[in-house]
Amino acid sequence: MKIEKKGLFVLMILVMALTACAPKAVETEQAAEPVEADPEPTEAEVEAETEDPVVETETITVIFPKHEAEWADVYEPRIKQFEEETGIKVALIQSDWDSVADQIIPEMATGGSAYDVVEFDNGWVNEWCGAGWTTPLDDYMPAGFTDGMIPGLVDLFTCPDGTLHGVVWNNDTRFFYYNEAKLSEAGFEAPPTTWEEFVEQSQSAVAAGVVEYGMDPYWNQEWSLMNEFHFWTYAFGGEVVDKEGCFLFNTDPNTLAGLEFAIESLNNGVSNPAGMTYDQANAQNLFLTGNSLFFPQGISGLKPLADDETISSVAGEIEIGLVPAGGKSLTLPEAFAIPATSEHKEAAWKFIEYMTSVESNVVIAKEIGLLPIWTDLYTDADLTAQYPHWAGFYAQLDNVRGLSTLTWYGDFVDIGQTEFHKALAGVQTAQEALDNMASGLAEFECVP
Amino acid sequence: MSKTEQPTEIRTKPFRRLFSGEGWFGFMLTTPALVAVLIVVFVPFINSFWLSFQRYDLARPQNDAFIGLGNYIKLLGDPRYLGSLKASATFSLVSVVFEIVLGIGIAMVLNKSFKGQGFVRGLMILPWAMPSVVNAAMWKWIFNADYGALNALVTQLGIVQDYQIWLANPVASMSLLILANVWKETPFTAILVLAALQTVPEDLYESARVDGASAWQQFFLITLPLIAPVVMVVGLLQSIWGFHHPFELAYIVTGGGPYSTTELIPLRVYAQTFRSLRFGYGASIAYLTSLLLLFPALAYIRYSYKKVLEY
Repeated sequence: MKIEKKGLFVLMILVMALTACAPKAVETEQAAEPVEADPEPTEAEVEAETEDPVVETETITVIFPKHEAEWADVYEPRIKQFEEETGIKVALIQSDWDSVADQIIPEMATGGSAYDVVEFDNGWVNEWCGAGWTTPLDDYMPAGFTDGMIPGLVDLFTCPDGTLHGVVWNNDTRFFYYNEAKLSEAGFEAPPTTWEEFVEQSQSAVAAGVVEYGMDPYWNQEWSLMNEFHFWTYAFGGEVVDKEGCFLFNTDPNTLAGLEFAIESLNNGVSNPAGMTYDQANAQNLFLTGNSLFFPQGISGLKPLADDETISSVAGEIEIGLVPAGGKSLTLPEAFAIPATSEHKEAAWKFIEYMTSVESNVVIAKEIGLLPIWTDLYTDADLTAQYPHWAGFYAQLDNVRGLSTLTWYGDFVDIGQTEFHKALAGVQTAQEALDNMASGLAEFECVP
Repeated sequence: MSKTEQPTEIRTKPFRRLFSGEGWFGFMLTTPALVAVLIVVFVPFINSFWLSFQRYDLARPQNDAFIGLGNYIKLLGDPRYLGSLKASATFSLVSVVFEIVLGIGIAMVLNKSFKGQGFVRGLMILPWAMPSVVNAAMWKWIFNADYGALNALVTQLGIVQDYQIWLANPVASMSLLILANVWKETPFTAILVLAALQTVPEDLYESARVDGASAWQQFFLITLPLIAPVVMVVGLLQSIWGFHHPFELAYIVTGGGPYSTTELIPLRVYAQTFRSLRFGYGASIAYLTSLLLLFPALAYIRYSYKKVLEY
């Protein structure tokens, strides 16, 4: 009996020890694979190995979000091709933006090295640059690498010391969409050029029974509500903070006008009041059912979606216009960055270089209509033939703006979304909301 | 054995048992699990408790410092935290009342013999077994203002004339969150109460019926006292879970809105910790809330056991 028990105990310890060792065994197996497959490498392979011996068997972990615009599987096949061409293995983690953010931020902040390539949102730039969480890419990229990229996208991911820390993989610039057929049915030949016309056209179309509302906003209380805050601020020429991080939002009359317009739109029949509880996907779905006339901030891939009869009731009806009154559109680009703690920086850079290359941009643009980061591609014959509506993007692309880059952006969202939502609900005025934001964020006044 | 020796003997006995024969073997077998628990539970517990006494701000590490009770004092004057505490208390207490009343009712029905009893019992567990995220997504769709099933139902029944934007109204959104939570959690109460009901001897009811007791008298004088210990435990568990568990539900269905009126404690902890990156402050929210829950919980346990003993 005693022997049996001791045997059981020893067995248990052995099982635990083997389990603990398991991952190492897998790694060894993977590393050994190429040797077994071809014990006598060719001259070219030997040369390649000599040039870049580390990259051959490296595995990098890459994490970035999967968005609603990614309606076809484009990244995984491209990554497989990268693996075949470089021999670098990629462990890919993709989920929604919030989940990705929740995984990355604690990892970066605690100095972990779980990831080699990470999502780098434009709202995080100042915070991350200040904390030194990312690797300057200037040490890895070839000279002149960014020549030919949209300059604004390069600037957005350049830290105050002038080094580039991220290369954009998702040029998420928003555009003003309108339903041309319904606008015409309501008696208007052209989209609005002023916000007064926007209201007039909306109310006329609603009164004529052409649509239910002028627009279906996405003003649910969530992180992206402050994107909308920025859009309405910029659309009316307002400012959030100055270069030193000093508050302007509570004193700028244009910011106030933007917020007042948004609030009033819920009362004058322009906006669907249910938008107070909708996220972007909800609102976009309603626009694609023909419920509303305008979608002021749609993703660049919305047009192909709208023209797909299997998911849209307004195929062939949607066109791209400009934000009325010369207002700025929002750009929310997302980049790839290499954590400062990554142990595979060379391989990580190769991944970034490959996935953001002109070739990858063309493949991904053809598949899901994602906007390229390379200026020449906007005149590429194949792409412009496939997406003639991109012509409508050009004029707006000169007039776009990113989110405020603040080290305290998380607090800005935390306090701002409650106050903005309260104002939208009519519980307080726009000015009260802005004053309450200023008072709640007082400790960050003039902190960049 | 002298009087002075006795306590020493009592103290040493368990240790002797632990390190001799069967005891030693049992101890060795449980050691790995014990070490694992210490590493994954005890260490983070102590670490996060220590964190709650510090300004540990990942976005501004230059300000990190030990601040003693600073976070706790700040919390007591933080209107967002106090609002969350109120919202969580409302959510938890109202949920528990409904879960217990409905749970007991359902358990009593399921305790009776009827055709398809096994199938119905299995069906009843479904909401509880459903993943929280799926449950939340389902309710979000049901409450949708433009195409949700709730609006279709109440307008077709003539209860309201027009579609309502339920989640834009603070009272309605809190009520609907509670409804979704009660729907998911009631089966847990029902299962435990059902198990307790099956231990109540049938003879007691027969004697009561012979004595002319009504159905209500049988329930209040026989059933309730005998299932009271289980109901007490369930009530306590559900109250605590009401404060700590409904993250997915609130995050997906309302996001804390409208204007943070349904921002339950887990959402507040999440926002402060993972959005504003104030790990010290986030930890203090969790610990202060747990502390605030501890006292009513102890009072409740004491009161309930007293009642159980009285029965």
